[in-house]
Amino acid sequence: MDKTNKEKIERRTDEDGVIFMSIKNGEEDTERKEDGKDITILAIESSCDETAAAIVRNGREVLSNIISSQIALHTIYGGVVPEIASRKHVEKINGCVRAALAEAGCTLEDIDAIAVTYGPGLVGALLVGVSEAKALSFATGKPLVGVHHIEGHICANYIEYKELEPPFMCLVASGGHSHLVHVKDYGVYDIIGQTRDDAAGEAFDKVARAIGLGYPGGPKVDKAAREGNPDAINFPRAKTSEKSYDFSFSGLKSAVLNYLNQAEMKGEEVNKNDVAASFQKAVVDVLSEHTMQAAKEYGCDKIAIAGGVASNTALRERLEMECAKNGMTFYRPAPVLCTDNAAMIGAAGYYEFIKGNVAGMDLNAVPNLPLGDRERRYHGRSSK
Amino acid sequence: MKILALDTSGLVCTVAVTEDDRLLAEFSIQHKITHSELLLPMMEQIKDRISLDMGSIDAIAVSAGPGSFTGLRIGAATAKGLCLALNKPLVAVPTLDALAYNMYGNDNIVCPMMDARRSQVYTGIYTFVPEKENENQHELKYRMKTIMPQAALSVEAIAEKLNEIGKTVILLGDGIPVYRDKLDELLKVNYVIVPALSNRQRAASLAVLAGIYFREGKSQDADSFSPEYLRASQAEREAKEKKRAQVKIRAISAEDITEAAALEKENLGSEAWTEKQLLEMSTRDDSVYLVAEKSGRIVGLCGVQNVSGEGEIFNVSVARDCRKNGLAFEMLTELLKKGEEAGCHSYTLEVREGNTPARKLYEKLGFVNEGVRPGLYDNPKEDAVIYWKRKGTE
Repeated sequence: MDKTNKEKIERRTDEDGVIFMSIKNGEEDTERKEDGKDITILAIESSCDETAAAIVRNGREVLSNIISSQIALHTIYGGVVPEIASRKHVEKINGCVRAALAEAGCTLEDIDAIAVTYGPGLVGALLVGVSEAKALSFATGKPLVGVHHIEGHICANYIEYKELEPPFMCLVASGGHSHLVHVKDYGVYDIIGQTRDDAAGEAFDKVARAIGLGYPGGPKVDKAAREGNPDAINFPRAKTSEKSYDFSFSGLKSAVLNYLNQAEMKGEEVNKNDVAASFQKAVVDVLSEHTMQAAKEYGCDKIAIAGGVASNTALRERLEMECAKNGMTFYRPAPVLCTDNAAMIGAAGYYEFIKGNVAGMDLNAVPNLPLGDRERRYHGRSSK
Repeated sequence: MKILALDTSGLVCTVAVTEDDRLLAEFSIQHKITHSELLLPMMEQIKDRISLDMGSIDAIAVSAGPGSFTGLRIGAATAKGLCLALNKPLVAVPTLDALAYNMYGNDNIVCPMMDARRSQVYTGIYTFVPEKENENQHELKYRMKTIMPQAALSVEAIAEKLNEIGKTVILLGDGIPVYRDKLDELLKVNYVIVPALSNRQRAASLAVLAGIYFREGKSQDADSFSPEYLRASQAEREAKEKKRAQVKIRAISAEDITEAAALEKENLGSEAWTEKQLLEMSTRDDSVYLVAEKSGRIVGLCGVQNVSGEGEIFNVSVARDCRKNGLAFEMLTELLKKGEEAGCHSYTLEVREGNTPARKLYEKLGFVNEGVRPGLYDNPKEDAVIYWKRKGTE
C-alpha cells in the first residue's frame, strides 16, 4: 500500500544548507479527465520555513513538487525565526516556481490557475508566496486561488489515495495545529475538536528541548521513543470534558517538565528514551481516542490523518490498528506529503477552483485564518 | 523603452509606468500600511486605464531597500513574480537613491531620511551635478552624485555629516516628521523640508532612475534578487551579540605571544612573523598590540607602531571560526583609539591585493587606497595595496 517507493524523490542541499526536494507521482497519467479538459494548477506555499511550489493536475496528480527547506538555518535558534524565514522565501521563491514548471515539463501557458497558501502561518512568510502568486496571476491573466494551509494538509490525502472521497474524519496535527475535522464534502469542513492550548507538534518540540533532543522535536522524539518503554512513566491524559473532542497538551507538557525537574532535584538519572516513549504514548492515546470516538459518533468509516505529526510512526501504527479493529479504512499520506509542501495546496486549490472560488488581486495574508470559514476567505472584493 | 516601477519600502505604496520621457501612469497611496492589498489592484487599475500590454514592458523596477522589512518583501516578491511571468529583467534601485532623485535639478545637498526605528534613520547624501554635452550648448543635464551611500545611521551621526559638508540641505522622507525637532536642534546648516508634492517615495522617480541604470546595463536576473535590508534580523543580531560578548579585547601580554604567533602562522603560513619578532615588536615603547580572547583562547591579533605620528598597522589576524562577526572591525577600532592616545594622527597598512574581505574592512574603517607595492608578497606572489587613513579625510 505504501506509495512512497513509487515516488521519485530527489534531494540536494544548496550553498546555505537549504534542502531542496523534488517529488513527483504523476507519471502514470491515469487521472486524465474524460472530456480531455485537464485542470493544471501551479501551487505556492510559504507559510512557515519551507518554500514550495508544485504543479498538480486535476487535484490528485502531482507533476512536480519542489520543497526548499530551511530547517538547517533555524536549528541554531532552536525554532523558526520568522524574519530569517521570510528573507529566505524571497531568495528561493522564483527558483522553486521555475523548478516546479521545469520538472513538470510545463510553461506558465499550460497552467489553468495559480493557488497559494494565504493563511494561517507567519504573516511575513505568507506574504512572500501571496505576492509572488498575485504577480504571476496578474502578469499571465490566470485566475488566483487562495488556499487554507490546513485544508491543504487534509487534501494531501487525495494525492496519496486517488479513490478517497469525502465524507471522512481527519485528524490534523502539526507544529501549529491540532484539529479534528469532519470533512463533509470537497472544501466543506467542520471542526469538531481542537487544541485549547499547545498544538501537538508544539508539545513535541518543547518536550524534545527539555530532554535535550533538540529541534525539530517531532522526528527526534519519535526516534528516541523507539528505544524506550512507553509504559515506564504514567503521564496524565487530559480530558477537556466528557462530551468535547477538544485537546489539551500543556498539562502533559508540564507533567513531563515536572518529572524531569524532580528527577534532577533527587539527583536521579533520567532515561530519555523512556520519557520520550511515555510522553509520545500519552499524546497518541489522546489523539487516537478522540479520533475514533468522533468517527463513530459522526458515522464515518474512513479516517485520515494530516500535518507534520501525521508522520509520527506510533500514531500511524495505533490508528491503523484501531481502524482495522473497527472495520474502518485508514488513510495516511506519505511523510513527504505530511510536511509543508505545495502539492497539497494544489490539491486543495483544485477543489476550490472548480467550485469557482477565485480570489481578487487584493488577496492578503491572514496569519490566523480559521479553517473552513467562508466569510473570511476573501474578505476583500473580487476585482475580476 | 517601457518600465513598470513599484515601491513598497515605506509608508507609500506607489506604482508607475514610464515610456521614454513620458510618464504614462503613476499611482501613489499613503494611507495605512496595507501594501499587500493595495499594490496589485493599483497595477490592475493602471493596466486597464492605459491599456497596458504587459508584453511591451522592457523591465520591472523595484526599490532594492532599505525600508520596512515586510514592505520590501512585498515589493521584491511581486517584482520577481512579474519578471518570471513576463520573462523581463529586473532593475533594483537603492530606495534612498530613488527618493533623492525626486529632487532632480536641485543644486543643493539632498538628504533623504526614512525612519528606521531604534533611533536610527536609513539615509544617504546626494547632490546633482550639472553637465553639458559640449561647451557651446546651453542645455544642462544633471547627474546625481552620491556623497554618502545609503546606510542606517543615528540622527546625530547624519546631522554631523551634514554639518561637516556645511551647505544648505534639502530634507525629505518619512524620517523627517519623526525627527524634525531633533534635526532642528542638531543641524547648523540651513535646511529645507520638501512639501507633500515630492517628499515621499515616488515610483516615477524610481522608473526614471531605473531607466538610466537599464541603459548602463545595470539590470539583473530577478531570480537571485533579494532586498538590501541594511540590518540583520533581531535573532541574528542577538546571536551575534551573544557570541561577541564572549570575546574580550585587551592589550597583549608576554604569555600570549606563543598563541598569537600560532594564530599568525595559521593564517599566513610562511609569511607569518616568528614568536621572537612578535615579542620584540609588541614590547617596544612606540607600539600598541591588542589580542582578542575567547574562552581563554587567543582568536584575534593586531598591532600599530607609532612612527612620528604615523601609525603603521601590522599583524591583523582573526581565527577562521571567529570571522564574519565584526570582531576585526571592533578590534581595529579599539587599536585606532589606542593609537591616537599614543600620538598617531594618521595610519597606514598594506594588504594583499586579492584579500577582498580585509580590504572591505579597511575601507569601512575609513582607509583609502593610495598605491600599490608590486610583488611584495610571496606564496603566492602578489601585489600589496597601500592604504592610508589620514586625519580629516574621513
